[in-house]
This record gives sequence, structure tokens and C-alpha cells, in this order.
Amino acid sequence: MSRRKPALTWPRVAAWLWGAVLLACALGLAALLRDGLPADTRLTAMLPEDRQSPLIERADAQLGQSFEDRFVLLLSSSTLNADTHVLAQALTAANGNTNPPWLARLDWRDTDLADQDPRDDLGQYRYRLLTPALRQAIAADGGQSLVEPALRELFSPTGQPQPVTDPFGLLDHWLTFLDAVLAESTVRPRDGLLTLQDDERTYALLIGQLARSPYDLTAQQALTSTIAEFEREHPEVSLLRSGLVFHAATGARQARQEITTIGLGALIGLVAVLCFVFRSPRVLGHMLLPLVGGVLFALPITLLLFGRLHLLTLAFGASLIGIAIDYALHVQCHRAVQGTAFRLRPLLPGLTLGLVSSLLAYLAQALTPMPGLRQMAVFAALGLLGAWLTVVLWLPRLTSPAHPFTDRLSRRLWQLTMPRRRLPPRLATLFAILLVSLVAWQLEADDSLRLLNPSPASLLEQEQQVQRLMGSNTGNRYYLVTAPSEAEVLSRLVALGATLSRWQQDGVSLRYTNLADSVPPPEVQQANLARVRQLYGEPLTTLLERAGLPTRLAEQARQTLHDAPVLDVSSWLATSAGQGQARLWLGATDTRDASEKEPRFAAMLPLTDVDASLVPRLERLAQTREGVSYVDRVERLSGLLGQLRQHIAWWVAAAVAGLALLLAWRYRRWTWRVLAPPLGAILGVLGILAVAGIPLNVFSQLGLLLVLGIGLDAGIFSVEHARRAETWLAISLSTLTSLLAFGLLAFSATPALHYLGLSCLIGLALVWLLVPWVRPPDGANVKEPR
Amino acid sequence: MIRTLLLLLIGLPASALAFTLDDLQARLNQTDALAGRFEQQRHLADLDTQLTSRGHFRYQRDERIVWVLESPIEDRLEFTPDSAANIDDSLGGNQRGRDQVAALLLDLLGGDWQALQTHFRIELSGDARDWQVDLTPLSDALRDRLSEIRIEGGEYLDDLTLHAANGDRLHVRFFDQQPAMKDKDVTP
Repeated sequence: MSRRKPALTWPRVAAWLWGAVLLACALGLAALLRDGLPADTRLTAMLPEDRQSPLIERADAQLGQSFEDRFVLLLSSSTLNADTHVLAQALTAANGNTNPPWLARLDWRDTDLADQDPRDDLGQYRYRLLTPALRQAIAADGGQSLVEPALRELFSPTGQPQPVTDPFGLLDHWLTFLDAVLAESTVRPRDGLLTLQDDERTYALLIGQLARSPYDLTAQQALTSTIAEFEREHPEVSLLRSGLVFHAATGARQARQEITTIGLGALIGLVAVLCFVFRSPRVLGHMLLPLVGGVLFALPITLLLFGRLHLLTLAFGASLIGIAIDYALHVQCHRAVQGTAFRLRPLLPGLTLGLVSSLLAYLAQALTPMPGLRQMAVFAALGLLGAWLTVVLWLPRLTSPAHPFTDRLSRRLWQLTMPRRRLPPRLATLFAILLVSLVAWQLEADDSLRLLNPSPASLLEQEQQVQRLMGSNTGNRYYLVTAPSEAEVLSRLVALGATLSRWQQDGVSLRYTNLADSVPPPEVQQANLARVRQLYGEPLTTLLERAGLPTRLAEQARQTLHDAPVLDVSSWLATSAGQGQARLWLGATDTRDASEKEPRFAAMLPLTDVDASLVPRLERLAQTREGVSYVDRVERLSGLLGQLRQHIAWWVAAAVAGLALLLAWRYRRWTWRVLAPPLGAILGVLGILAVAGIPLNVFSQLGLLLVLGIGLDAGIFSVEHARRAETWLAISLSTLTSLLAFGLLAFSATPALHYLGLSCLIGLALVWLLVPWVRPPDGANVKEPR
Repeated sequence: MIRTLLLLLIGLPASALAFTLDDLQARLNQTDALAGRFEQQRHLADLDTQLTSRGHFRYQRDERIVWVLESPIEDRLEFTPDSAANIDDSLGGNQRGRDQVAALLLDLLGGDWQALQTHFRIELSGDARDWQVDLTPLSDALRDRLSEIRIEGGEYLDDLTLHAANGDRLHVRFFDQQPAMKDKDVTP
């Protein structure tokens, strides 16, 4: 379709080709996103897999599940019954307003949790389930001491005697024992409500099951606004809340607030600066074009390569592509100053080196074993490439007005900010050595998971209080127990529980939930049945005689023992009482290699109220037992975050070393002048963090990656075009715009964004300050030193 | 005694009109404390046997009922709204079930229809001198265990029958009932 007049030149063809590629990308993206963005939010999806991890990962996910879909409200007031009704009705009404509903169910009446009688489910297993107290009683005197209580049960008006099926009330004993074992049992029905009791007051309990994800905005909105309204109307009621949905809602609200303050501030600032310098809204569009081109190019290809996109990839990757605005700024500044004399060719070496250096720095991460990091690197590198191609192929072809003010401004800036002198290499080296030693001595690292948790302290406190009152746990610390068979897993759990309960008796503060307490191992169930046979001998006859019941009943009762089934884990978990423990059982785990030693069944034993001083003892216990490992979820994720951080650091360092060789090939003894702005700024940031006592974390380090990319571009251009005022203007604009885009995040209340922003704020300012001091001496140019 | 007479006089005009659940509640609540004897018969359907026990009781409204078994065994049970624990023994069966039955017993003796209405459909028949109340469970969960409760009486509650879903029946007859001093020691 080309017309005859403009010749079919090579750049023209390339520009059209690039347009076709982007169009294909856009179509591909539309096809890929037809079913929504396949996004992944799990932090652990960013991290490498090792041999043990898949199992631990499953354990983690399963233990955390109940915390994710469920929320708990605890109410306390002087008019508890009325207030609870009001709140429950308000929540139900709010659920009716949305379609589809966000609330799957809400339990708060005393009848809500008592749908099924556990007797029906567990009745047939009762002869194999003996409480420790009953076991001891039978072992002591054959069970004679149990006759008296059984008699009382027969004649009490509240008893439910079954002289044949269960003359000694074994099932009742077992259910009472289960009440103590199962966490939920602290909940008591009272006055038509579900209540919890502590030393001071009674709380009414509302348990909600979400029908949607806790990150769903409609669900968050409906829930929090209903509760807020209730609190406004009933200021005397004190309310405790627990559940991921509340934390997610707080996070979302905070993010929204910051988008309107920090985000809008940065955007207005950016537009104002670019309009001030270039005096043209069209130029503003040209600046954004490379960013759009970059993301459009990177997104479909990354999706094709990885199948799904991690949200962190999208967030940080898009920021890294933001470096591409540098290219557009350089082209635009030169064009604005040089007017019609502008040619792209002199800029090409700088632009290309800028691209290659950034590509190297990011692609180095693609070689790491971290899947998330690889994805981020590929995404950023593709994006940069796309942006660069857009700048080089399209921008020169787009007519853009060159306002004389830009030229005047660049000269003015040059005069005002360029120092007469240069930083002597020796002094620079001395500074660098000082900083390195300071960083080595002082800088600490912090990989704690708190960085990912933006929840305010008051909400965390409520969360803890609810968990404590409910006797539940978030499953942060647990033993993972594996064995070749289900029976062996249960036996190992019993042994573990025995040790822990001995510790408890010694006064160690510790609570735990043991699946083997509710499902005894088969051999224990066998032994229990033998004891029950003993109990059904002499003691049973005595009982019937004293109650005045016919003794033929004894023979009938003994008949029931003949085919008493063994309770296995899956049968227990299928009962109404056992459902709550489903999260403790991983069951048969598929192992890839078929070696016989491989554990095949796994269960968890969660620990609560663990004092920090107890942790080494817990770890030692796991080491001495076969198939038992101690897992601290928070600790493990923190460790993985630390690994992520170290991997980034080493691979980027290696990339920079390789880059130095490449730069030395072009710049020879001026190489240090190219590297000084980025590396000096990074060193400066680390030094300031060290002096201020702020530990380095994965997010501040990601910020340093941005500093590296922008600093390298600045270093390259300042050496390539040492005497050009327009280059200095472009460098200044690039650091200023990046400062606005990322540096302002330092004021965010979200820890992750705050640290990222802080690194950028300090680092970018240092880049800008360093460039003038290390630029090559006047009168020299790149070609000369070669 | 004078107080009872007075209350009876106040109660008389109401009995001339239709006798309502509110009237019955007022009637049952006239006495803060009550003492008397009981005979309990438990019919076990699938064994076709009877378990019979006798003893005396003391009921204190909204507080507790003390149940003293005299034959065939001697035992003392105490039920309160919060707990129906057997004060003598800790190996006493399933706590939740006992609590619920004890709470039910206290509600029935006190004629607390408001509390009972959440679980039962309540029907009153008869008049002030000879009334019957039938309670039918509302929820499936409760119906699985209880099919019907029937209480009968005149001045006091005289008969209580619980029909379990499995055909078992608990019948308690109260007799020799007298108002008792509220703060008197409850031990027999």
C-alpha cells in the first residue's frame, strides 16, 4: 500500500514491520485475555521448588485455607442477644443486595452448628475409642469403678441410657473427650446464640463463610460497610474481627487512598514537568508511546512462555519498563534543541548500549533458579526491547513541535548545575572504599514477612485475641509427619503427642492439635477393644444386677463387640465432628520417584502459644524422630524472601561485572565514568541505609535495580555526549520523572512500596548529583581515548 | 401461706376467661422455690424394660434444680442453667447433651415459653385446674432425637413425659409439692 512519493527506505519498512508486530501482539493478547488474566498472587509461586517443599507447600496452603475463606466476629455488650440479632440480620440483608451472593453461610444461632449429632457418625466405632481416663480405670481394677457412674447415668433424668448398645456410655465419654480435643468446642450454645467465654465477659460469635475470594472488592465493601454502620449505630458494642477478608479490605482501602494521593500527585507532577519543558501535549503522547509499545510486546510473549503471570511480575516488570522513558527523553531533548538538524544516528550508540546494559542486568536474573524472578526478567527485558524499538523506529518519523524554550532551558540548566571541576579518580576510589567498608560493617538485612503485611496493629491485635479466644490457630507453626502408611503416621503422631503432653505437664506453655487424639492408630484401637471386652465381663454383670435389669442383656451387649469396625482417618474426617480436622490431613502424597523409602502419607500437627525459647527444643524433637519435620511458615517464607534477595544481588553483581567488560571495549579508561553514577548511587543508598540503621530487604533491593538501570543510561549518555546541554537535560528529566514515579512511593504506608520508593528516592537523586562530577573532561570525546 | 392465697385470688379472674400460656407462665412463676417428691420411669423401647427411680427434688426458679435419688441407688444431682454437672463425679458422660437436657428441664419447670419457642411448637389445652402443654420440635436435628414433650398439671406441674425419637419414653411424676423457702439450704 506504499505510495510512490516517499521512497521505500529501510527505516520506513522497519517502522511498518514493527507496527505489524505490535498489532499481532495486541491481537494475541486479546485472545489470551479472553478468559481474564491468568494471574498468580501466591508469594511462594515466585520461589524455587526443592524436594521437600511441594509437600510443605501443600501443608501450608491447607492450614491457611480456613483463615482465608472464613471470617469471625466476636461481639460483647450488655444487650448481647439483641445486638447480635441486629448485626446478623444486617449482614444477611447486605448479602441479599448483591447477586451472586458474597456470603455462603453465616453461623450465629445456637442451632447453626448443631446440625448433626456426632453420635450417629461415631456410634459404630465406640468400642474401639477409649478415653485415657477410661483406659486407666479399666487397667486399674478391670472397670469395677465404672459401674457406679454408669448406674447414675441410667437413672438420671438427663441421661440417655442404652443398656445394650452402650451400658457404660463409652460414646458419651469419647464425645466429651473430643470436646476438649477439638478447638471449636470452646463455643457453647447459650440463649439462642453461640457464645465464647473468657475471664471477664461473654462474647457472641458469628462465623461467616465467604462465597467469594477475600480479595473480592464487592465482598469487602459489603462486609466492612455493614459492620461500620452497625458500629456507628451501636457505639457501646465492642467488636473483634478475624479473617483474611478484613486484612485484605484494609490493604485495598490503603492502596486506593495512596493511588489518589501519591499516584495522582506523581502523575500531575510528571505531566507538569514534561509540559513545562517541551511545551506540547503531543510530545507527552510521544513519551508514553514507547511504554505502551513495551508492555504490548512483553505481555503476550511472557504469557505464552510461562502460561500465567505473577502479579509481582506485572507490578515490578511494568516499573522496570518505565526505564524506557529514558530513550524517548533523549531523542526528544536532542530533537527539541537541534531542530531540523536532528539525526538519530549519533544517538544510536548510546541508546543501544543503554538497552544492552539494562538487558544484561535483567536477563542475568533469568538464569536464576527462581521461577518468579525469571519471569520478571523476561518480562522486563522484552518490554525494554519493545520500547527501544518503538523509540528508534517510530519516534523519528513522528513530527513533533520543537519549542525554543526547551533549548533555552537546557543551556540554563547546564550553566547552573555543571561544576567547573571533576571528581579526581583517586578521591572517588577513596570514597568508594570508605562506603564499601561502611556497608560491609554496618548494613543489616531484614527478610521478615511483615513487609508483605500492611495491616495496622489494631487489626492484628484483634486477630490474635480472636484466635486465642477460639483456641484456634493460623497454622503458622506445625510438625509435618510423614510415613509409608496411614497407621504409621498415626503412631508417629501419638509418639509426638506423648512427648508434647509430657512437656505441658512440666509447665511448658504450648498447645497443639493432634489428629491421632481423635483417630487412634489401629493397634491402639485393637487394644481398646480388648479392654472393653474386659469391661463387659464382670463389671457389666454387676451393673445390670444392681440396676435390676435382666442379665440376658449382658450377652446381647457382648454380641455388639464382634464386628466393631476400626475408625480410619477418612471415615473420621467425613463425620460432622471431624470435618474441622480435615485440614490436618494431607493423606496419600504422590511421589515422583518410586523408591520404597519415600514417605507416602502425611499429616500436620499445628502448634500454638509457642514461646520463642521453645523453638530450638521443638526443632531438636523433630530431628530425633523419623519422618517428622518442624515447619515455621513465617520463618520459612522469610527465608525464601531472603534467598530471593540474595539471588538477585549475586546475579546482578555478576551481570554488572560482565557489563563492565563490554563497556571497557568501547570506553576504555573512561569505563569508570559510565559505571560511577549507577554504582556510586547504589553504594550511596546502601551507605545511607547502613548509617540510618534501616535494614536492606527484597523491596529496597528491587528499587536499586531501577536505580541501576536509570543510572547506567545516565552514565552512558553523559560519556557519549559529554558536552551537550540537551543530554544533560534529558538525564535530568529522566531522573526527575523516575523520582516522581517511584521515589514518591517512599511516602506509602505499605511497607513493600515504602522501601522500594525509599531506594529510588535516594538512589535517583544520587545519580543526578554524581553525573556532572564524573563526566569526561571538556574537549574530549568518546572516539579519542580509543 | 398468706402470700400464696393472695396470689391465688389475683389469679382467679384470669382462670374464668380463656387460659393462655401467659397465664400458665404467671402461675408457674408464682412460686420461687418448690420442693416435692418424684417418681421417674424410663421406658426402653427396644428392650421393653422399665427403669424406675424415686426420690425428692427442690426447684429454685431461674437458679437450679436439685435431684436426689433415693432408690434403687442413692445419688444427688444438681442442674443449673449453665451446667448440669454431676457434682460428685467427673466421669459423667457427655457434657453437651446433659447441659441441653438440663436447660430444657429448667425451661419446662419455669414455663419459659419464650426460650422454648425457638425450638418447639407449643400448644396449650385444658383449663387452669387441669392443663396440658404439648411441645413439638421445630428443627430436624431436634426431631431426630425427640418426637414430643408433654407436660400436665394444675396448680403445679404434675407430669412430664419426653418421647424420644427411638421410642424410648421418660415419664416423671411430681407429687407432694410445696412452696419452699427460697434461701433455705438445698442439701437434703
